[in-house]
Amino acid sequence: MRVGRLLLFFTILFLPTACDTKPPEATTERGATGLVIRLEGGDWGYPSPFAHYPRGPGGFKMALLFDSLLERDEKGLIPWLAESYVIAEDGLSYRFTIREGVHWHDGLPLTPDDVVFSLDYANRHAATWSYIHDAVAKVSAAGNTVTVRLKRPQAVMLDNLGRTRIIPRHIWEKVDRPKEFTASEAVIGCGPYRLTHYSKEHGTYRFTANVDYWGPKPRVGSIEFVPVSEPILAYQNGELDMAGVTPDVLPRFAEDSANTIVRNPAFWGYRLLMNVKACEQVQDVRVRRALAHAIDRRELVDKIERGAAVPGRLAILPPDHVMAAEKTRDYPYHPDQARLLLDQAGFAGKNDKGIRLLQNGRPFTLTLLCSAQEVRMAELIGQRLAEVGIETAIRSVDGKSRDAKVRGGDYQLAVIGHGGWGGDADYLVSHLVGDVFDPNSSPSASGSGGVVSPELLELLRRQAIEVDAERRRQLIEEIQQAAAELVAEIPLYYTAGSTMYRPAKYDGWMNMYDHHAMQHSKLSYLERTGPAAKRTE
Amino acid sequence: MGQRHTTRFCEYLFTILVVLSLNFVLPRAMPGDPFLILSAEHGEEIARFSPAQEEAYRRQYGLDRPWPVQYASYLGGLVRGDLGYSIYYNQGVTDILLARLPWTLLLVLSAVFFSTLAGCLLAGLSASFRDSALDRLLYPLMVAVAEIPAFLLGLVLLFTLAAGLQLFPLSGAMTHFADHGSLWGKAVDIARHAALPVLTLTLVRTGSMYLLARNAMITVLTRDYIRTARAKGLSPLRIFARHSLRNALVPIVTRVFLSLGGLVGGAILVENVFVYPGLGRLMRESVMVHDYPMIQGIFLLVTVTVLSANFLADLVYKRLDPRIGESAEVRP
Repeated sequence: MRVGRLLLFFTILFLPTACDTKPPEATTERGATGLVIRLEGGDWGYPSPFAHYPRGPGGFKMALLFDSLLERDEKGLIPWLAESYVIAEDGLSYRFTIREGVHWHDGLPLTPDDVVFSLDYANRHAATWSYIHDAVAKVSAAGNTVTVRLKRPQAVMLDNLGRTRIIPRHIWEKVDRPKEFTASEAVIGCGPYRLTHYSKEHGTYRFTANVDYWGPKPRVGSIEFVPVSEPILAYQNGELDMAGVTPDVLPRFAEDSANTIVRNPAFWGYRLLMNVKACEQVQDVRVRRALAHAIDRRELVDKIERGAAVPGRLAILPPDHVMAAEKTRDYPYHPDQARLLLDQAGFAGKNDKGIRLLQNGRPFTLTLLCSAQEVRMAELIGQRLAEVGIETAIRSVDGKSRDAKVRGGDYQLAVIGHGGWGGDADYLVSHLVGDVFDPNSSPSASGSGGVVSPELLELLRRQAIEVDAERRRQLIEEIQQAAAELVAEIPLYYTAGSTMYRPAKYDGWMNMYDHHAMQHSKLSYLERTGPAAKRTE
Repeated sequence: MGQRHTTRFCEYLFTILVVLSLNFVLPRAMPGDPFLILSAEHGEEIARFSPAQEEAYRRQYGLDRPWPVQYASYLGGLVRGDLGYSIYYNQGVTDILLARLPWTLLLVLSAVFFSTLAGCLLAGLSASFRDSALDRLLYPLMVAVAEIPAFLLGLVLLFTLAAGLQLFPLSGAMTHFADHGSLWGKAVDIARHAALPVLTLTLVRTGSMYLLARNAMITVLTRDYIRTARAKGLSPLRIFARHSLRNALVPIVTRVFLSLGGLVGGAILVENVFVYPGLGRLMRESVMVHDYPMIQGIFLLVTVTVLSANFLADLVYKRLDPRIGESAEVRP
C-alpha cells in the first residue's frame, strides 16, 4: 500500500497537465432534478435493512431507500417519520406520533401498523444496523401513535429505535430469513430514493429520486456509485464528484478554487487496550498512567496519519463529540513523568539493557497485539515504551484473529481501530465494562475491563437509564473524568481526514452530528426544508 | 487398461475428498468467526453486533452445531449440487461464482495466450540466435521481468497509462451507466478495461514462459534431426515452426495447463489493483470476513480446475509425444 501511495503522490505531482481537473463530463444529466452525482462505489451488499454487509457503507445506501422514525442533522436527532415523541419518566416507554401521508415506493400508504411490525420484526430478527434486537417487550399502536415498551430502561434506545428502519409489513410479514431475502421487493421503502440499479460483481449502484417522497424534495436526481481503483485520480479525471484527499496531495487540490475541501469530524479512531487480568503490572493505575505519559500520541498522528488526525483523549470521547467533556485529566507526552510513576510503582531496578525489572527479576516486557496494518503504530509505541524502560514484544496477526484474542482476553496490550466514536456516549459502557446490567457478561465486549471502580460503575448504570438529556450529559461528563483518572484505555488518535468536492456541481453536502462522512448523510441529498430545515439554536 | 483408469479415478476422488475436508476445517480453524467484528480496517465502517445478535446469526447458519454435523450437512449439500449460501454476500455461492468466473477467465486466458505466444516467439529468437546480442539482451531482461511482482507492475501501468496518459480506464471491467450503442461497442469497452490487467498478467508471465521455452528449444536445437533439417536446406522459419517449436512443446504445454490450474488465484493481486470483478478479489474478501461457505466454494472450484487441468495435460501430453506411453501421467 505504501508503494501505491508513493506512486499516487508522484503521479499527481508530476503529471499536472495530463491530469488537470476537468469538468465532470462523465456524468450524464438524468433524474427528477436532472442532477447526477457520481460517488465511489464497490459492493457493500444489497441495500435492504438486513442484507447489506456489516462492513463498509452499505447501511448508508440502504438508508436512502428506507426512512426511520428519527433522522440525524448537524446537531442531533430530528423528527422524521415520527412527528414527535415522548419518553416516559421510568425510561421504559417511548411514544411516537407517526407522520401521515407517507407512501411506500409501491404506492401503498405507510401506517402505524407498519411501524409496529418493523420494530417488532427488528426485535425478533437481528438487522445489520439496528440495535433493538431482543430489547423490546411490547410494541403497540393506538390511532397514529406507536408505543414501545422496553424490557429494561436504556437511554440509548431513543437513538436505537430512532434509527431502526421502517419496512412495509405487506412485503416482510412472510419473510422468515430476512438476511437472505434479496428479491426486488426487499428494497421497497418509503425513503427519498429508489434503487434503480445494483450489480454485486461490479459494485455499482444507482439511486433515483423518489418524486412522490413525503418529505423534503431530493436535490439530486440520481446518485451513481461506481468502482474506482484510486478515488483521488478518479476525482481528478472527473469520474467522481467527491473523494477523500490525503495530506500529501491536499495542497495540490486546495490551490484550485473549483474544489472545496472540508475536514471530516474525528470519529474514527484507534485505542490501546490494557488487559489487567492477563498482566498484573497494568493493574496498578500508576503503570497505566505511565504508559499514557510515555506514548507520544502526537507522534503517531504526525508519522502515521501525516497530521490528519487528532491525538487521543484519555476521557475517551473525541473532541468533536457532542458530549465531550472539557475539563478532564490530560496525559501529555512526558517520559520523565512516566519514569517517575514506574519508579513509584516498584519497577525502579533495571537490567544492563535499561529494561526495568519485575519483582521476580524478569524484565518488564509487555506483548502488544495488533493487526498487520498497525505494525508501524505498534513499533512507534514500542520505541516510546522502551525509552521509559518497558520492553514490548509485538504480535501481528490478521484482523479477525486479533478480534478473537481481544474477545477471549488473550492479550496484554492490544491496538484496535474502529469507527462510531461520534455515536451515543453509551458506548463508554462497552469500552469500560461490557454490560452494566449483566453480571455474567464478558469483562468487556471490546474493551479493557477490570479497572472500573464501584463509583464509575454506578455512574455508568445511572447514565444508561437517565432519560433527562441534561442530567445524562452531566453523568457522561463525570464518567469521562473518572475514565481519564483511571486510564481505563488509551485512545491513541482519532482520524480527521479531508473530503473534497466541486461546489459548482453540487454543494448540498453536510455532516451528521455523529458521523464523519458527508456522502453518508441522507440530508446531503435533500432540500433543507420542513423537518430537514437547518437549525440555528 | 480399465483398472488403470479406475485407479486414476480413485486417485482424483481421494484428492477431492482430502481437499474438501481441508476446505471445511481450515476456515473454521482460523480464530474468530463471520460474526465476531470488533475492529475495522483503516477508515472502514462496521456494524456492532450484540452477543445476542451474534448467537442468533450463528444459530441461523448452523455454526452452533458440532463440526461433524456441519461437515455432514456440507457434504450432503454438495451431493445435491448445492455449494451453500454465502454468509457475507447473502447470495447462493454458485450464483456468485458464476457471475465472477467469466471475468477471471477473460483475464487469465487472455494473459496465458499472449504470454505463451510472446514467450515462445522471444524464446525462439533467443534460441535460434543463441549468444548473439539479441539473446544477451533478452535473457537478462526476461529474468528481470519474471521477478517483478504483478501488483507493482499493475500500479505502474495504472498510474502511467491510465492516470497519466489516460489511454485506458482507471478501473473496473466496463463503463457503467453508459450507452454502448451496440454489442460491438460493449465488447470494445470491455476489451479496453481488460487491457491493462491483461497486459500486467501477460508481462509477468512472459518472463517465465520465455525462460522455459528457451531452455526447451536450446535442448531441441542440439538434436540430430535439427542438424539434418538444416543440412536439407530448410528455411530457419520452417525449422523453428515444424521441428524446433513442436518438439519443445511438451514442457510448454505442461506449463500452460499448470497456469490454467492456477487461474482462479492467479489474478488476485491484479484484480485488486484494477478493482476487477473476478474471483481473485472475491477469494481475498471471503477469507478476510471468514465467509465459510464462500471460501469452501472458491477453493472447491480451484481444486476442480487444477485437477481438470492436470487431466487435460495428461491427455495432451501423450498426443504431443507419441513416444510417451500409457505410463506417462501428470499426477494430481
